[in-house]
Amino acid sequence: MPFGKRVPTGYLRVPMDTLVRVTDLSRSFGRHQVLSHVDLCLGTGQVLGLLGPNGAGKTTCLRLLGGMLAPTSGRIEILGVDLRRQPLEAKRHLGYLPERPPLYPELLVDEYLTYCARLRRIPRGGIAEAVKVARERCGLEDSGGRLIAKLSKGYRQRLGIAQAILHKPRLLILDEPTEGLDPFQMRELRGLIRDLANDAGIILSSHLLPEVQAVCDRVVILHQGRIQLDARMADGPPTNIWRVKLRERTNAERLTDLPHVVGAVAIGTGGFRIDLDREGTSADLARAIVEADLGLLELTPERSDLERVFFDLIGAEELT
Amino acid sequence: MIAVIASREVRSGLVTPLPWVLLGVGQVVLAWIFLQVIEDFSGLGAEERVASLTQEMTMNLFGFAAVIAMLAAPLLAMRMLSGEFRDGSFDLLDAAPVRLGQILVGKFVGLMVLLTPLCLLPAANILLLAGATEIDGGQVAAATLGLWLAALMFGAIGLHASSLTAQPGAAVLVAFGLLLFFSIVGRADALSTQSLSLFGWMSWNEHLFWFLLGAVRLGDLAYFILFTGFFLALTHRRLANRRLQ
Repeated sequence: MPFGKRVPTGYLRVPMDTLVRVTDLSRSFGRHQVLSHVDLCLGTGQVLGLLGPNGAGKTTCLRLLGGMLAPTSGRIEILGVDLRRQPLEAKRHLGYLPERPPLYPELLVDEYLTYCARLRRIPRGGIAEAVKVARERCGLEDSGGRLIAKLSKGYRQRLGIAQAILHKPRLLILDEPTEGLDPFQMRELRGLIRDLANDAGIILSSHLLPEVQAVCDRVVILHQGRIQLDARMADGPPTNIWRVKLRERTNAERLTDLPHVVGAVAIGTGGFRIDLDREGTSADLARAIVEADLGLLELTPERSDLERVFFDLIGAEELT
Repeated sequence: MIAVIASREVRSGLVTPLPWVLLGVGQVVLAWIFLQVIEDFSGLGAEERVASLTQEMTMNLFGFAAVIAMLAAPLLAMRMLSGEFRDGSFDLLDAAPVRLGQILVGKFVGLMVLLTPLCLLPAANILLLAGATEIDGGQVAAATLGLWLAALMFGAIGLHASSLTAQPGAAVLVAFGLLLFFSIVGRADALSTQSLSLFGWMSWNEHLFWFLLGAVRLGDLAYFILFTGFFLALTHRRLANRRLQ
């Protein structure tokens, strides 16, 4: 089980160099409570994945952390600075990529990044270097002279990330950073996030559970404005679990006799959860079932552990 | 930081066609009025002329230029806040270590830089006559100052309307509504038997009138600065409230 022990929120081990400390954060829009009693701590080197179904309060939580919304109650400290009392000081350490990259289509990429560098108060002499480094890190080396309006969605997303990391922030908040990226870009972004996490803390929200599992070392699941899970992701051995549906009535023992099968558990009518050894592949399993004449109807990979935990927490209605 | 934001606004403004179209259309309208005034004035005998040529020019050219500025300011301002709310680019400023006041003043300065060429157009037209006839430079300067101050106020109203909604079209309509109110509120004087001098005072055209006559009065200066400050303060409040809503 690649998940650590579930811990009550607010009692996680506090890292020595706390970047963000969120205490009892609540936010409501009118009568609608979007976020309630959220406690969170993040240290340097941590990548925190914020998960939750639509309307769970992820974006609200990130906007509160970015200082774009004021909390109804609670407190946010960034490097010990209260975001509400000293917003300018706190925001200096912050890099933020909103859901939609905040771009000006009429500007050139370099003009835009230079403007962002000035807004972030990078000293005049260091702006050109900062822009160059951010462009390189986000794969925009050859795009400096391109008009933002002419950029594809993936490139706009890259530019949004570039503006967020331009000033080497200690805390990076990324709202759906993989949105619009192709699989290659996603892999590059994963590397970039791990690279940035060497000297910063990163909070990212995503709908893509495998993406969060691949890049984050901690995951927070929000549902109906409350933290349902705050757990570290341990590096467990990779699993090789499959689900099959068979036409013929059989029992789990018969399946365990098949080659490469370590264990089998019956789930519902004709359904089994089968654990293969390291050498076994889905093709081996399919062949073995067909040869045993069990009438293979379905063969699907078992959901990742994060996915299972997610659905367990969010409730049975999403299971379908 | 104000200069950084203002220069970005100007840069973004200049690469879009809107200010150029406004300037072009403004010049065509002013040139037409210019020709009409010249024709009417030159058609009259010396004893029939009730006002000097400069007077005729300032009253007509600057009066129309004020109406053009009144149309232009909301159109230029709608992009600055309302358009940014809609496109999500305001988040960049919101997450940056910049005060709301600096954002607002930066945008207002940018708007004024874009509106200033429009305010200089009537003076440029009148100066074409400098070699041919005697022009009262003081009166033209006073009228230009008045027009610029009026544009300042229109800009502040435009920005305020722009801060109210994420729909730029709606922001323009709100701004036009407010500006129309400030244009016709002085008419309440004529409708009532009693003297309602407050309404007369609230109307911008009453104050601009004195500038066009060449009189720079403290009260008129105060009027434009007061209302500009008032609408900027309202906009600041609105931006601060967005974080609470």
